[in-house]
Amino acid sequence: MELIVATSTNVLILSAMYILVALGFAFLFNMLGILNLAHGAIYMIGGYIGLAFITALGLNQWVALILTAIIVGAFGIFLEKFCFRPFVGDFNRIIMICVVITVVLQTGVNIIAGTQVLSLPPFIAGVLRTEHFSISYERIATFAIGAALLGIIIWFVNRTRWGQQMQAISQDIEGASLQGINVHRITALACFMGCALAAIAGCLVGAYLCLGPFMGDFMLLKVLMLVFLAGIGSISGIFIAGLVLGCLDSILPLLISGAASDAIAVAIVVILLLFRPQGFFGHEA
Amino acid sequence: MSNNQISTSTLPKSKIGRRKWAKPAVYAGLVFIIALLPVFLSSVYILHILILTFIYIIAAVSMRTITTSGQFPLAHAAFMGIGAYLAGMASKWLGWSPWLTIPMAALATAVVGVLVGYPFARLRALYYAMGSLFFGIGVVQIIYAGGVWTGGYSGFTAIPPLFPFGTPKVSYYYFFLGLALVSIIALYRFEFSRIGTNLKAIAQSHLVASSVGINEGWYRVLAVGVGCFFVGLAGAGYAHYNSVLSPASFGFMATLWLAMYVLIGGIGSFAGPIIGTAILVLMPEFSRDLKIYSPFISALMLGIVVYLMPQGLVSLPRLVRSWYLERRKEKKIAQVS
Repeated sequence: MELIVATSTNVLILSAMYILVALGFAFLFNMLGILNLAHGAIYMIGGYIGLAFITALGLNQWVALILTAIIVGAFGIFLEKFCFRPFVGDFNRIIMICVVITVVLQTGVNIIAGTQVLSLPPFIAGVLRTEHFSISYERIATFAIGAALLGIIIWFVNRTRWGQQMQAISQDIEGASLQGINVHRITALACFMGCALAAIAGCLVGAYLCLGPFMGDFMLLKVLMLVFLAGIGSISGIFIAGLVLGCLDSILPLLISGAASDAIAVAIVVILLLFRPQGFFGHEA
Repeated sequence: MSNNQISTSTLPKSKIGRRKWAKPAVYAGLVFIIALLPVFLSSVYILHILILTFIYIIAAVSMRTITTSGQFPLAHAAFMGIGAYLAGMASKWLGWSPWLTIPMAALATAVVGVLVGYPFARLRALYYAMGSLFFGIGVVQIIYAGGVWTGGYSGFTAIPPLFPFGTPKVSYYYFFLGLALVSIIALYRFEFSRIGTNLKAIAQSHLVASSVGINEGWYRVLAVGVGCFFVGLAGAGYAHYNSVLSPASFGFMATLWLAMYVLIGGIGSFAGPIIGTAILVLMPEFSRDLKIYSPFISALMLGIVVYLMPQGLVSLPRLVRSWYLERRKEKKIAQVS
């Protein structure tokens, strides 16, 4: 019972975090075709900015979370305007600029905070104990925030004016601008949302696990797997692929120990990709 | 086009001869200078950096060979790792001579590349890049999981060196210079052969290429095989030179940096990866006094190339020339008016 509850919460939390970060990546990727390899670094910097707010400035955690989201989101708008927009459609230069951003952020954090592993204080302390199992409130809170944000994003993308404009742009950018949609404003909004989501995920993971300057690389790989497993252009596919990856990452280590489980998870993703070269819910690039 | 031909044929014979020999002469002179470098450099450390540069030049040039077929291989550092670990394992556990393991590991890497490239030929463009990236991650995870056989997390140590212990670094220098030269010449011949032209045709349009009778899948797998052979060679040489291997040096960031070596020099020209590797490997070493800040130097250079030189560093002379001509034109206009 204990094991089942722990594993299923692990699945849910991991999936929620993967999906949160992946959604931001997918917005930019669907709308402008930008392979934002700096997304992992943005997720990492979110955690560190949250930590700086809480420990250096002594702010309330929830205020710090919101402030971090806004600041990193603003940084995302800056990136969209000066780093991504000039190179739309040029795969090689996009990769280069993303490596530049990643190196600058990682080295900066490395110099300021050092390589030691830090972590945010928990958002809600304490443990929920029942007859059969115990579960910390921290995990419940992490999952609840993640799930609530995902619900808001689904509502935003499907029901609001801006969300529908985002969908229109990802279908056909020129057609959308012919219909009077301000493409630059909407892509800037998407970048704001993507970076803010990544920053929130960074804070949550920083509280739930730990922070390190290179934690973004791992998350970036997961995000890439998720987005390409789901297929380009599919938002709903990301949720299914996120659950699949979350299951693989939390159940396989129980059966096989160590790096072998990671290798098998990657192998499963590669084989799935070979069966469906255009992803499971997407279209060909 | 025809105009051009007439003008060259009317040139005096001596001039054609001079043109034909000018470029090879310049390259031979460069190689000569590089070969003489150890005479002037006494520092072992600089020799070490130059040796690493030669190894990464082989890797970067072979990566570009695969990209000419329209595939962006983000598993290239992992293939280097396959070559390095195969060579290391063969010489450490089976006791083979390094002179045997280096070619064998290169061949084995090529075989792995072909076996992987065959199913991956289904994937196109970004999906290929991502599929190969995931494959590379899988390879690194397998190395981590290898336990005693690969050293796992603590790294693979005590690989027998190529030359007996105590040999000066200069012999390694000439060995890797020769290896790099042979690889560069072979890959150059490959790229400008009929096969290389076919690969470029596939990169431009796989539909048109297959409609004129180019077997797309076969040629793409061939390109991967050739690229992997040379990167396996580089990796095997690295294993026997360094005698310590760590899986992290073949992981995700290593592949991205290899891609940066190719892209900063210019992916569109053969000399691009050579120039790019030389600059990106050597430059952080000159700024070694900055210690922890030195990644900023690489980032700065990448940023300059991204914003100012879309075609990479190779296009710098052309850009300067066009800028100069533009300015002269403006001056003339100003004088006339």
